[in-house]
Order: sequence, then C-alpha cells, then structure tokens
Amino acid sequence: MIEFRGVNKWFGALHVLKDITLSVEPREVVVVCGPSGSGKSTLIRCINGLETIKDGRLVVDGQRLGDRATNMTELRTEIGFVFQSFNLYPHKTALENVTLAPIHVRKIQRTEAESAGREMLAKVGLAEKFNAYPAELSGGQQQRVAIARCLCMRPKIMLFDEPTSALDPEMISEVLDVMVGVAEEGMTMMVVTHEMGFARKVAQRVVFMDEGAVVETGTPEEFFSDPKTDRSRAFLSKILRH
Amino acid sequence: MLENFSFRTIIEYLPLLGEGFVATLWLSIVSFAGALAVGIILCAMNLQHSQVLKLPAKMYIDAIRATPLLAQLYFLYFGLPRLGMVLPELFVGILALSLNSGAYIAEIIRAGILSISRGQVEAGVASGMTYAQRMRLVILPQAIRVTIPPLLGQAIVLVKDSALLSLISVSELTRAGQLLASDRFMPAEGFITTAACYLLLYYGLKSLAVLSARWLGVRPIGSRI
Repeated sequence: MIEFRGVNKWFGALHVLKDITLSVEPREVVVVCGPSGSGKSTLIRCINGLETIKDGRLVVDGQRLGDRATNMTELRTEIGFVFQSFNLYPHKTALENVTLAPIHVRKIQRTEAESAGREMLAKVGLAEKFNAYPAELSGGQQQRVAIARCLCMRPKIMLFDEPTSALDPEMISEVLDVMVGVAEEGMTMMVVTHEMGFARKVAQRVVFMDEGAVVETGTPEEFFSDPKTDRSRAFLSKILRH
Repeated sequence: MLENFSFRTIIEYLPLLGEGFVATLWLSIVSFAGALAVGIILCAMNLQHSQVLKLPAKMYIDAIRATPLLAQLYFLYFGLPRLGMVLPELFVGILALSLNSGAYIAEIIRAGILSISRGQVEAGVASGMTYAQRMRLVILPQAIRVTIPPLLGQAIVLVKDSALLSLISVSELTRAGQLLASDRFMPAEGFITTAACYLLLYYGLKSLAVLSARWLGVRPIGSRI
C-alpha cells in the first residue's frame, strides 16, 4: 500500500530522511516513534505529498509520487491525514467540516454527504455537536471531528501525525479509542505517536526512527520489551521513566 | 470669537455644502469600489510564485506608498492629457483615489490571507482540494473576516483623501467650503463646517465598522490553537 525505497530528503543542508526503506501492507497498522526531530512527521507527510522527496522511490496505492502520471490531488482523496493541531476549519460547524471535502472534492450530493457526516460524527461520539463550531469544542472533541472529517472521504489509508500530543491528558483516551475503532475496521494506518498502549493494542509493527533513519522495526511486543539497539533503549527508558 | 461666527452664512451656503457632501459621499463610494477591484487584482498578482506578475505588483505598491497622493493626483491630472487622454476632472480624481487606495487595500487583503495559519492550507491540501477550492472554501471566508475592519479603516482614509480632489476643481465637500471661504472671506465658517461634515462621514463609517465587528463576532472563529 505504501512503499519507501531508498528515500532521501534534505531541508537545506539538513539530511532529514536518510535512505528510508519501509513498506506498509493493506490493513496494516504501523506506529512510528522516535525522539523529536528524528524525521517521523516528515516521513508520513511525504506520503500525501505535504513534503516532497529528493530521491528514492515512494509508491502509494500503486502510484509513484513525483511521477508525471500521478495526480496528487486525486491520490490525496484516498489518504486521510490527521494533524497534531487538528486544523479544523474554524468558520465551519462540525458537520460542515466533515462534509466540505465530500461535497466539493468527492462531488457527493449534499443531503447524502450530510447524512453520512452525521453518522460519522455520531460514531466518534459527537452526536450532540453537529452544529458546534471548533472553538466551542474541547481539544479531544476537535480531534475526533478531524478524524471523522478524514473518514467521511472513505480513504484507503489514514495517516496520524502525533494526534494526541496537543491534548490534555484526560482527553487522550477518547481520541485513542476512536483510532482503535478505525484500526479494528481494517484501515491501513501509519501513526506517529508515543502512546505505547495504543501501539500494543492495534499495531502490527513499530518503526523506531532516529536522526532521519529507521533504526529498528519490530512487533510492539518485541520493541517495547526487548529493544535491539542502544538508541531505542535510551529512547524507551526516557519515555517510560515518568 | 463666537460673536463673529456667522451661522447665517453657513445656512445660506447649506445647499452648496449639501451638494458637496453628497458628491464626496458618492465619489468616495465609487473610488472605494474601484480601489477594491485594484486591490484584489494586485493582491492576486502579489501572491503568485512567478515573478512575472509578482514583481510589477510589488513595484506598483511601493511606488504608490512611497509618493504623496497629491503628486499622484497631479501626475494623472497633468500627465494624462499629454498622452492625449483628456478626461473630466471628476474621472481623474476617482481614478487617482482608486489607484492609490488600491495599493493599500492589496496589502490589507494580503495580510488577511497570510494571517490564516499554514495548517488551514494543509488541511485543504490533504483532503484533495485544488488551489481554487482551498481559496474559495477555506482561506477567503476566513480572511474576509479579519480584513473587513482594516478595510473600513482604509475607507475612512479614502474619504479624507478625497478632499485633495478640490485642488483639481472637483466640486466636492472641501471645494464647497473653499467657495464659502473665498466668496465671503470667512475661512472659519467654510472649513469648520466642512470638517464637521467629514466628522459625520467618519462616524457613519465607524458605526459600520462596529456593526460589522459585532456581526463577525457572532459566529465563533479561531480554534483553540
């Protein structure tokens, strides 16, 4: 579904992605973790073209990125992206947020999009909030609307860029529960997160990145209980200590 | 001092002043509409990546902001006839105000668009919207809200700037005050009355600004981050 082969990227002189080779199968859930600045956000932002790669091969849903034949706008409709800072449209209600792209990009009938939108919002536990503006919602609620906004596009892949890092601790679980639900329905997912509970519960693989390179991959069980490299051990001891 | 102040003369000139008031009002409205058009075009040019459109827009905006309106007015008033375009004073005046205010409006709109966070653009991009869809559905509706109050501020500036048109003998408010002042040698009566009329226009626009702020404030905007 997603295949990186020898992907490199630089920000100026900074080598942010170093020779990444990694593939994600359909219906697989992959958690990406690592210290800040390790390139994990950049990695998943490349998948939907929010960042462009310098060299190497990146194939998503059978289409090679950077190819002339690849229509990025079309490919993006198949990829949901959840941001750390939610990025809901502040001038639109929750329902308008989740129906905007289905109506204007997918060209679905408004009435149809709205009933699907209501259903999706109810599914993420926001049946009471159809007409609320983002500013009237808590962080956890906003992030759930953001997830519903992606799901309403019926994507093949969902990418999450630290979806719970901007949330107050008591709101993290409500967002993770929704993500677990999405994973259990068989969505192909790549999730940048340090939430190990989530990784253990639904991830098939954990990818550990440091300084722009993939240092270690393994099942959550292997990775958390028996990390293979010094760098992953050092990282885990830091996030586990508190 | 007040015993010399002739309210009678003011009342006598009221029809002329009224005409001037109405003239200032409508020529300001027309100029502002023109300025909006100029501003939107300039801003669209300025936001392009290609220097072909960006550079001329930038140079134009700098040239307008760097020179006095009076110089621009005279440039058009004396310059256009030399190019064989003899236009009525009123038209030249409206043109000058539109071209001048347009440069400022372009910057106001640009600031409004740039004030919308990068995340909003990315959310649109990630959901597969085209540039045009992002602008129409996501960026502009938000930018307009932040742009309206400074635009009304610019409208106030434009109304006051329109007084300069009296120098190319457009009959508007200041021109009416000048006529009163020079006919009767009563500068105080002439210009204080004119000033009072501008104050009236100012409060009109200001209450519009307050109303618009209240209307825009009704719908919550600005997420927590």
